[in-house]
Amino acid sequence: MNGVKLEVQWSPVHVDKFITWGTEIFLYEIIPQKDALSTSITVSDTTAANLLASNSSHHYVKCVDIYPQAEPDLLLAIGQANGKVVLTTFGPTTFDSRGLPGKELTPRHARQCNAIAWNPFDTNLIVAGLDKYRAEHSILVWDVFKCSHHVIETKGSSFTSSSQQQSSSVSELARPVYELGMSEIVNSLAWFNFQPRSIIVGMNNKHLRMIDLRDTSRTVCSTPTKAVYGLAVDPHNDCQLASYYENQISIWDTRNFEKPVLTVTQGKPVTKVLWCPTRHSLLGSLVRDSCGVYLHDIRHTIMSNDEVEPSVLERCIQPCASSNITSFSWHPSNENRMLTISLTGTIKDYVVFERITLNSSPNSAILWSYGRRSLRYVTDKDSYITPEDISVKIKRRALNGYGLKAEFSENGDISEDVVLKRVWKWLTVSQSLSEDSNSSRGPICKYPGVRHVLRMDGNFQNGAASLKSELNTIPWADLCNGNGSMAKIYKSEDRDKAVLLCGWKVDREPNALTSFLSQLESEGSFSRAAAIAVFNLKLRLAVSILNRGAAAQEKTASITSNLNIVAMAVSGFSDDKSSMWRELCLTSRSQLVDPYLRAMFAFLTADDDNFDNVLNENGVAVEDRVAFACMFLSDAKLNEYIHQLMMNLIAEGDLAGILLTGNSNDSVLLLQSYLEATGDIQSVCVIAIRMFPSEVIEGTTVQMWITSYCMLLDSWHLWNQRAQFDILLSMCTASEKPPQQVFISCNFCGKSISAQMQGHSKGRGSYVRLGASSQKLKMSSCPHCRKPLPRCAICLVNMGTPSGLQNNNNTNSSGRGGCNNKLAEFSSWFTWCQSCRHGGHAAHMAHWFREHSECPVTACTCRCLSLDAASKVPSILSHQV
Amino acid sequence: MFEARSINVEHKDLIHDVAYDFYGLRLATCSSDQFVKVWDQDDQGNWHQTACWKAHTGSVWKVTWAHPEFGQVLATCSFDRTAAVWEEIVGEGSVPGERGMRHWVRRTNLVDSRTSVTDIKFAPKHLGLLLATCSADSVVRVYEAPDVMNLSQWTLQHEISCKLPFSCLSWNPSLSRLHPPMLAVGSDDSNASSGGKVFIFEYSENTRRWNKPETLPNVTEAVHDLAFAPNLGRSFHLLAVATKDVRIYTLKPLQDSSSMQSGLSRFDIQLSAQCDDHLCTVWRVCWNITGTLLASSGDDGCVRLWKSTSYSQTNYLHNWKCVSVLKGDGTQAQNESASTALATPVGVMASATQSTASPRVIDEMSSPSPQQPPPASKWQAPVIKGRFQKMTWLGSDPPPPPMEKSKPFKKDLDFIVV
Repeated sequence: MNGVKLEVQWSPVHVDKFITWGTEIFLYEIIPQKDALSTSITVSDTTAANLLASNSSHHYVKCVDIYPQAEPDLLLAIGQANGKVVLTTFGPTTFDSRGLPGKELTPRHARQCNAIAWNPFDTNLIVAGLDKYRAEHSILVWDVFKCSHHVIETKGSSFTSSSQQQSSSVSELARPVYELGMSEIVNSLAWFNFQPRSIIVGMNNKHLRMIDLRDTSRTVCSTPTKAVYGLAVDPHNDCQLASYYENQISIWDTRNFEKPVLTVTQGKPVTKVLWCPTRHSLLGSLVRDSCGVYLHDIRHTIMSNDEVEPSVLERCIQPCASSNITSFSWHPSNENRMLTISLTGTIKDYVVFERITLNSSPNSAILWSYGRRSLRYVTDKDSYITPEDISVKIKRRALNGYGLKAEFSENGDISEDVVLKRVWKWLTVSQSLSEDSNSSRGPICKYPGVRHVLRMDGNFQNGAASLKSELNTIPWADLCNGNGSMAKIYKSEDRDKAVLLCGWKVDREPNALTSFLSQLESEGSFSRAAAIAVFNLKLRLAVSILNRGAAAQEKTASITSNLNIVAMAVSGFSDDKSSMWRELCLTSRSQLVDPYLRAMFAFLTADDDNFDNVLNENGVAVEDRVAFACMFLSDAKLNEYIHQLMMNLIAEGDLAGILLTGNSNDSVLLLQSYLEATGDIQSVCVIAIRMFPSEVIEGTTVQMWITSYCMLLDSWHLWNQRAQFDILLSMCTASEKPPQQVFISCNFCGKSISAQMQGHSKGRGSYVRLGASSQKLKMSSCPHCRKPLPRCAICLVNMGTPSGLQNNNNTNSSGRGGCNNKLAEFSSWFTWCQSCRHGGHAAHMAHWFREHSECPVTACTCRCLSLDAASKVPSILSHQV
Repeated sequence: MFEARSINVEHKDLIHDVAYDFYGLRLATCSSDQFVKVWDQDDQGNWHQTACWKAHTGSVWKVTWAHPEFGQVLATCSFDRTAAVWEEIVGEGSVPGERGMRHWVRRTNLVDSRTSVTDIKFAPKHLGLLLATCSADSVVRVYEAPDVMNLSQWTLQHEISCKLPFSCLSWNPSLSRLHPPMLAVGSDDSNASSGGKVFIFEYSENTRRWNKPETLPNVTEAVHDLAFAPNLGRSFHLLAVATKDVRIYTLKPLQDSSSMQSGLSRFDIQLSAQCDDHLCTVWRVCWNITGTLLASSGDDGCVRLWKSTSYSQTNYLHNWKCVSVLKGDGTQAQNESASTALATPVGVMASATQSTASPRVIDEMSSPSPQQPPPASKWQAPVIKGRFQKMTWLGSDPPPPPMEKSKPFKKDLDFIVV
């Protein structure tokens, strides 16, 4: 801005102070954001900066360096455009006694000072690099303490001498310790950190030169390059240097100084390079007209044949996105912290975050790296998001046996979800309906949808033809004016069934409706009950329901809609098309909040059998709308409505649509759509296998759901749930039971003993099996050749017997008590290692491998346990034994 | 509020990758310090380091677990131009009764790449024991272990060359036989003019080759990570891309055979979400097990969690929203900017073949000219002294709401002038 470049620099010795300079020099202090005063400027989310002081007494500042010795105050060395190096402070400081502030170190001829640097060890030494002047040295090293005495002296005598004389006397007196670089330009320079008297200088736009001040007669080494600007020595490694020229950043190794070890090309001219003092080989760079700082992580990788190849990982960070950055400075001690200053003067205190890598576990934990040394993670117990994700819900439901319960409604209760509860409830209704209505036509359909019941599930076009219903006109029962108010209701056997399927218990018995409604009332859904009463032309009933509802609302003080007034309005119903009541209802209907009340009035005020306002009232449950449609829509309209509604529900993935689709193929679409909307693979799977006929379950879509769900259960280690799910699946599919995968054959005759055992038990019936222990004893030998079966490696009892540890009587009694028809207790089953073929009773093996990893058979070194990938799983056996 | 728990991993350099095994009970980390560490979770949920070895001679970029069906197998890839497959075995000759020492052995070293191998992933289990790598020399390699019991023998089955250096890859995890094997590969080439940076490769059973890749429309910035969501029975695929922002694409396979023959797009590709909450580069993305929650990390030092809030079936678009912001140190970000920062669902985009839709202007903050403060933002008016301006950022979280008026001038500061 205005030609003055703003610079920023952390104090090398103070953790919380930094300076900025353009035309003036400002000193700031970093304070926590919470302590910020009104005058503080915010520099980051957590910190603010207080302006402590400013110094505007110096002009033409070209470069600034801060005295690197730990002192309470800052001492600056300013290199000016006229070549003078001025020491200055902000206000009175401890340096005053040493006479340092105000000291001017002046070269013999005025020319621009390009670089200035305090020696990091001998902090009294300061080096200045100047522009070229004929027959003059351009590298001047001063000792600020050695000449201090003389300066004060001259100052004292300056009262008598002219100012011209004074400055010349100062320059005479403050003689540099070393003078180097005759008639040369210094572009940049830097001290080495571990070789205290060595400097590296970029000179004459064409070479870098390393100089040891102890022997100034010769250069230590030098290399020709154009990259002579912004020399920076790696604070951790003296051998590593960085410099730049135009678009290129060169990284040098002083041990191999001929050519740069690495050249990084940037898109724009580079303006600054700085090594990070807190990390190895991390270089920050700045390019012109850019709002980002580039970070170059320089890595030396040893390739296969011992060659070292440096490479660079680049990153661009944008501390403030709004304006171009003109300078930056690394914090001397805080890791990855830097200050940036932009063209507009915005200062940002920025911490460069390390790249965060992250991953999520199957158990809903999220883990990420924080810095170099630690990982952080949150688990589902932390409830890091609300509402919880479906994966957490699925796992919890699986643990509770969701979908596995025989009773449908129980599954609904486990789901703790309104929509799913309704689906399971509907399945119950549908099942009971299909059980007690012996469908006269076709194959028995287990869970018919409304469309099936109304015979619409064939071709859409012919659908209407198959539905034949008669039109009944029924007088409004409770209207006593007798002027012939009639409602048109369509009736047919199929329609009745469909209405029943919707959960409306009507027409079967006289009291069914009233009991259904009072059940709704007890659930607190008064408006729904009232609406259903009205749809069934029971106005008086509706009014009394609403009144009861009003009373209930008063108790709970919930004022959603004033049911008393609604009741009053309902009671005034008149069928007259031009009545004032109707007009009023039409206008005020839209103000009702409750969708059921809206639907009720829409029905009461509908004309010409146009019930669109009822049918399209989305707040009304699908089953109520469908039941309503089944009563009041003509065949053609009903067909159209049901079809349209189904399409909408499928598109939305609304499981309420299952009422319409039943177990038809449309349900697959509906479930797929629900799955895509929610990701609830579990509900989709369990509903599908409970509801669909086996040929649908064996279709590719459902099979894919099932494999996906099984994979989920597997990765959660829910083996029991997985097994139960598989059992359920095999019960629901007509296909053959999965073939036996494991056979135990006799070592001697090679015949399967298990097949024999099964046949055995079948022949004797289920009673014999459990009772006689003698029976079991006989099983310890091969049923074919009567040779003994292998022994358990632990108890040395022949297999096929109850193990010696077990009390036979107990086993039997418990066996009788529970209705299991197992051949033997799980703990005495055959188990063996797939690798060494040694084995024994399951319980013994589990016991052994709890403490051992090797095979129990002597001289067998098979590490059976470690071969088992799931060996870390808390064993099922251990719970049972 | 809660605090995240922490694991002290003590890597000596940057951690580049963490990977859970299939069950989420084991963890592998890899780092620039050339080491790989394996961690096991005990019954109390605490993590213990059970193995640590120097795996490569360069930074180890990625580590990944094979399905446990194939044993305890890890694969790593590194800057040293190699990829390796490791298997955990139990040492021989220990005293009986003592638990055998487990240790990891290198089963194979895949040395085909001439440059840094940037990513490595095992294929979904049902495809067999397949391993895909991608490298900076723009080659994707697919290896197969024909005998799953012999992990030291891997054959290079396919080598697909491209023009851009690759940085990341992801297998499509779909279990469906209807979906052919599919790989998404991203490039971190920062030159926007070199075109799309995400390539979708599909394997054709008929030709037994990987088809010519398709590129995702409008991803021209460097891509640092990408991840397919677990499919879980969906009819489409979800692909998250970490570039300048988090993007979620839906890929709906087109069943139409005509498009397959004509070589046009095989998918209907739509941009489902584009979220620039990280303000800067996004480094990593990962899905949860159901593909319903996306986590991303970025240069802002935060982990953000994304969740779909609503869904429209007509174009398979979910409306993704940031539901949680976790700071890098594990505290939850104080300001719930999460709830307001809605991921803008980008409406209907043309399918891949006709990518005409222009990308949304990504950064509201980058546009104002440097000379003046951004108008009507949360910036405090400048305090001017000389030519030195100071600006104060009052907001705690970046995107400035366009409504707020600039604050009144503060009285000039009292400077101490020496």
